[in-house]
Formats: sequence, structure tokens, C-alpha cells
Amino acid sequence: VNEDAVREGWRRVELARHPERPHASDYIERMIGTFQELRGDRLVGDDPALIAGLGSWHGMTVMCFGQQKGRRQRDRVACNFGMMHPEGFRKAMRLARTASKLGLPILSIVDTPGAYPGAGAEERGIASAIGAAIMEWFRIETPVVAAIVGEGGSGGALGMAVADRVLMLENAIYSVASPEACASITWRDASFKQEAAQQMQLTAGSLLRHGIVDEVVPEPEGGAHVAADEAVRLLDTALLRHMLELRNQSRDVLMRRRHQRFRHIDRAHLAL
Amino acid sequence: MCSCGHHFPLHAEAWIALLSDVGEWEEHWADLMPVDVLHWQRPRPYRAILDRGLEQGLNEAVRTGPCAIGGRRFWMAVFDFRFIGGTLGMVAGERLTRAIEHAITDDVPFLLVAASGGARMQESAHALMQMAKVNGAVAALHDARVPYLSLLTYPTYGGTAASLALLADINIAEPGAAIGFTGPRVIEQSTHERLPDRFQTAEFQLGHGQVDMIVQRLDLRRTLALLHDLLT
Repeated sequence: VNEDAVREGWRRVELARHPERPHASDYIERMIGTFQELRGDRLVGDDPALIAGLGSWHGMTVMCFGQQKGRRQRDRVACNFGMMHPEGFRKAMRLARTASKLGLPILSIVDTPGAYPGAGAEERGIASAIGAAIMEWFRIETPVVAAIVGEGGSGGALGMAVADRVLMLENAIYSVASPEACASITWRDASFKQEAAQQMQLTAGSLLRHGIVDEVVPEPEGGAHVAADEAVRLLDTALLRHMLELRNQSRDVLMRRRHQRFRHIDRAHLAL
Repeated sequence: MCSCGHHFPLHAEAWIALLSDVGEWEEHWADLMPVDVLHWQRPRPYRAILDRGLEQGLNEAVRTGPCAIGGRRFWMAVFDFRFIGGTLGMVAGERLTRAIEHAITDDVPFLLVAASGGARMQESAHALMQMAKVNGAVAALHDARVPYLSLLTYPTYGGTAASLALLADINIAEPGAAIGFTGPRVIEQSTHERLPDRFQTAEFQLGHGQVDMIVQRLDLRRTLALLHDLLT
């Protein structure tokens, strides 16, 4: 075991989860003008773990999504610590279809430990809600740019990150399961979370090298929580650069490239 | 199957023998082998896990190929739970995706037989990406108007349940199959909720609108042939 690599990996996990780290609402408030929140899945309810709405951004009207963790304990509980229920994924896809219909580009701020692991979520079909969302993103006809700003946990993150470009903040993490869940599955003991985190290579730099994400967005010295305004500005600049590139692509090219991005994301590793 | 009606889990070969007409299964891409991209070492090296599978005659958790059921053509993908809990990895995802793409090209229904614990930890983000890769293919399958049937067996969980397994035109569950996203042990640990009896069973999922029907194993061939006739 490489102790230094394990320590360094865990430092990133702690930064990604830092309670003072800018959350989705901080990015949306600072980046999006005249944000109008839109709520409800039109079926059973609204999911407070996903902020969704319209706003203006660099002269464009955009549909913006953000997985919201909350900062004070009361807020954190109110939005289920950023863990989405089926209603959240169904709300997202309802509004993504609206954006597609009206030609509006989409921004998705990803920050979740994972989808909500509870009985109610299961009863209302969390698995098929995530699956349907992942599938539906391939049918959206407008540009989609996602940014993993904190935790990108499992299918709950991927359900909001099937995008034309996937960016990742320098200290964000993205993995198939949380380090705790991975350790529980492989060691049958969650206390091996630090080693699990290191082995999963869940840091932004690793994922860029593996071709999973398209760009690592730098954070202010010490992490995004040290200078939130600067962190937001850096992400805003990167998002805009990608969105302007995508806006020049025809609908057919955009959709074909999104499909190809995921179809061949592992091409280098398949012994063909 | 037990005389009491209990359906014991089947591995891929048994499913193929049970469902396909004799001599009609033609396995594809069996030579595509998983790779230890992350150099996973602990608690067991991924390479050693893969080698153990090879000793059992298994090289991946999904097997794919065209087959016939009562003379009706299908492209079929079968999970094998014996191989790392039927987990979705890069090669499993690649085989699934190619099988779906061939179902589109050949214009024959796609049949999935699911038995999976979810995405494979030892491939981490690469495994996670398979959920998007296969669902991109499922979107194309639906857009091409090719029928998709999914047979959910014990157990179908995690990234497999939350990608292609529940997105078929017709979801069929085996009696007593366990189907869900998060397993009951993790739900109890994280939320301290008391789970109802028969939580996440096929019967529970029928009651909650996630599956169309529950079919006894011995009726599957007849049901699949009937659905093929009705859908094509």
C-alpha cells in the first residue's frame, strides 16, 4: 500500500465534502441572472435535493440544474444531503425535455453522495427513474454541460451527468460508489474507505487521464471554500467556453457526438 | 426449480440451455476480455479475481449472441452472477451494447436476462460509464422501434437495475426475484428504516408498477415466443 497516495486521495475526498465548499445554490446564485426556480415532477412531488430552473447566463436563457446539499444542519436535512429521490430525476427530465423543445442549453451542477438509499425511493422506482434519465439525456437536442463540483457519487451523479462535456473541479471526486460503500462491498468493512478511495482513482486528474471527464477546472489555492467567488468565476469561465463551442454545432452533430462520447469512452482499454 | 415452486438462481449457460432452441445460440465476442485498468490490488487483486473466473471457465459477467426461442429470433444477453456478482464492467457493457446494436441492425427483438449486483467496483468510473454506454444503445433500440424484453431474475440491483434492466418495453420478473437499486442491508444501515416483508421482491415490484408480469420459469419460453409474435 502506497501510504502517501492513500493520504493524498483522502485529502481530496475531504475537500470534496468540505462543509464550507460552495454548493449548487452558491454557483446558481452567482452565475445565473434572474433565476426562476421550477418545481415538481408532475407525478407525485418535488425533490428538494435538485434545484432546477430557468435563468439568463451570458446573454442566453438556460435551463439550470444543481444537486443541493445545504450547509446548516436544518438545510442539509431538508434537501436530504443532496441525495435525489425518483421525483428529482423525473423533474430533471421533464425540464430537460422542455429545454430541448425550446432550444435552451442546459447546465448541470453535480454534487451528491449518491441517490437516496431509502424505502420510499425504492417504492417509487428509483432504479428505473435513474435509468430513464440516463437514457433520455441522449434524446435531448440542445447542448448539455455538466460540472462535478464536489461529490460525484455513483448512478445518482451519472443521472445528471450524461452531457456533451463533463467538467470536474480540481478537488471534486467521481466514482462508481462512495469510498465507504466501495469498502463495504469489497472488504465488507467500511473502515477501509481510504484505501478504497485511492484504488478507485476518483480524483479529477485521474479521471481526466482516463478520459472520463473533459476538463479539470482549477480551484483557488487551498480549495474552492477558501475563495468561493473566485471558484465560481473559474467554473463560469470554463462552462461558457464549452457552451459556446457546442452552440455552433448542428443538432445532429451534437447528438451524434454525445452518443459517441459515451459509446467509445473506454475504447482505449478494450482489447479489441 | 424446486417442487415447492422456489426458483433457484441459474447461471448463464443454464439460462441459454433453458431458453434457446437447441443449436440456435451462437455466442459472440466471447474473446473480448476484461482488463485491470486501475491496477486494483486490495483486498484481492482484480487480476487474481479475473484468473479465478477463467479457472471456472468464465471470462465476464455477460454473455451475448443471437438465439431462437420456439423458432423466433432474438438477440440475447445473459448475466452470470457467478462472475464477480454479475457486475457491469467495461467488457460486460461492451457486449451488451454490441448485442443491442446488432438487434437494431438485424431488426430482431432484444432479450435481456438480468442477474447482477450492480456496477463493478474494480473498474470504478469505467464501470459507472457503462450505464451511460448501454443506455445510449437502449435509446437507439427504442428509437429504431425494435422490441426490448427484459427478464429480471434474482438478484437485479444497483447500476444494472438503474441502467438498462428496467427500461424494456416489457419487464418480466421471475417469482421471488429481488429487484431494486439499493440493497436492503444498506437501506437499513443508512436510514434505520424498518423494511416491509417481501420488500423489493418481484411481487413488490409488480405492486409498485415496475414490472409487467411475473412468469414461472417453465412458462418463460412460451411467454417469450407469444410476446415476440405480438410485438413483431
